[in-house]
Amino acid sequence: MIGLVDGNNFFVSCERVFDRRLVGRPVAVLSNNDGCCVSRSNEFKALGIPMGTPYFQLKDREASGELFFRSSNYELYGDMSRRIISTLREEAVDVEQYSIDEAFIFPPTTAAADYAAYGRRLRTKILRWVGIPCGIGFAPTKTLAKIANHIGKKMPDGVFLMPDDPTEILSAMPVQEVWGVGRRLPAKLRAVRIITAQQLRDADDDTIRSVGGVTLLRTAMELRGIPCHEERDYDADPDSISCSRSFGEPATTAEALAESLAAYTAQAAAKLRRHGLLAAGCNIYAQVFASGGGGDFLGRTVVFPAPTDATNEMLRAIREEVEALYVAGTRYRKTGIVFFGLEKPGTARQTDLFDTTPPAEKSRLYAAVDALNARYGKGKVFSAAQGLGARPWHMKRQKLSRRPTTRWDELMTVR
Amino acid sequence: MPGKPKISGSVVAGFPSPAEQYLEPPLDLNELLVKRPAATFFVRVQGDSMIGAGINDGDLLVVDRSLRPASGDVIIASVDGDFTVKTYRRDKDGVRLEPANPNYPVIRLRPGQELDYFGKVTACIHRFAGKK
Repeated sequence: MIGLVDGNNFFVSCERVFDRRLVGRPVAVLSNNDGCCVSRSNEFKALGIPMGTPYFQLKDREASGELFFRSSNYELYGDMSRRIISTLREEAVDVEQYSIDEAFIFPPTTAAADYAAYGRRLRTKILRWVGIPCGIGFAPTKTLAKIANHIGKKMPDGVFLMPDDPTEILSAMPVQEVWGVGRRLPAKLRAVRIITAQQLRDADDDTIRSVGGVTLLRTAMELRGIPCHEERDYDADPDSISCSRSFGEPATTAEALAESLAAYTAQAAAKLRRHGLLAAGCNIYAQVFASGGGGDFLGRTVVFPAPTDATNEMLRAIREEVEALYVAGTRYRKTGIVFFGLEKPGTARQTDLFDTTPPAEKSRLYAAVDALNARYGKGKVFSAAQGLGARPWHMKRQKLSRRPTTRWDELMTVR
Repeated sequence: MPGKPKISGSVVAGFPSPAEQYLEPPLDLNELLVKRPAATFFVRVQGDSMIGAGINDGDLLVVDRSLRPASGDVIIASVDGDFTVKTYRRDKDGVRLEPANPNYPVIRLRPGQELDYFGKVTACIHRFAGKK
């Protein structure tokens, strides 16, 4: 059995742990550079304002006191995410973080008697310990667990166990909502009369392969209850960019730890570039080996100086944190990286400026940049102008809350 | 490794160090003060409402969210949107939050009002030179 745990309205829920005035109010967290709504409270959703609505269209309603906004506080969300995974680690045989607010868990055999009760216990524990409400779904495969999680989120207790025969659920589900089916396939699928998840499950293998290749066949197998998604980077799904592996033998040296994380960073960064995305930051983590499951989870959150897809910049940013993960004498069973704050570079005006500047203009630009550097000292302007992939702007985060879990000078105050 | 004998312990090459078996990690305050890192938060005290309990303005509190409050515990809770540190009391008169300073009022929960509990204070760190 596999469980999928995800934080409800995760960014907003993180903000609410430390700002109780936001509880019960329509709140949204904004994307990088305060662009648009990326996480909404239930009260905000109830007003019918869709995901992705640009902030500037809502400013009036903020000024009138109707709506509340926060900038993306990745330092906080990354830390809260680590706390959730660490809490899950104590209760599960293995945890595979899939994105900043989602993780697959592999329950212990003792949970088999009553998965729903196990799920409720987990949910209560995370709510108490970390303060974040979660939805949890259980099923025999990851693809079915995703669906179960979706249903669980809407349940009063937040937990759903997929029935042995999920036909009824799958026949009510449009095929494009199945994890990994993607946006381009539905048209092709419609041509072969596959409209629901149940029809994909029951189609013959040759038809499925002719439409979506072996990837789609794997998805169909998963819907049939046969696990096909092993630990890997889920390339079909750009919602999450992550990479993790278990070591064949527990790793014990700082070098092994650093090398594995560098390799996964490079792999995940390559995936970012394939999808034309920049990341605002990442969580890196290491799981400690413990015979019989369990074991500690060590993690660090890194926010890049500016959203990037450049491997070298990421490696530079995570170097110190990787060192901090290493404790002499510890045996590590797994390391991994999860990116967050994903965005298309075109959404930042300054980036377009650089991308569209003709070569002749560029040499003049370099001269200007060099002059700036001579005046203000070497900095990001220099490396960005070299085309290393950096973007010469700092993220605009004018509505940023405090970072009470990662900065001593921004602690929550109590009277 | 099927068929091969299993070797337990480490293989020593070169001269064994007589100090090796006594080597221990140094004392770590985190180990002493933070039992459950996933549930532990640090907060800063502002004001003197708990001065009688040894909690001063500028002190750092270690807060464990995993612990349920018992009457007499020092806790962090939110009252009307603001976080406060007080002694939690629960008896036949209901729930109240008591300051440790006569200049501050006792906060009583209205009937039916639920305590917005954040966590239990497990330690207070007071620094002498400078508040930082």
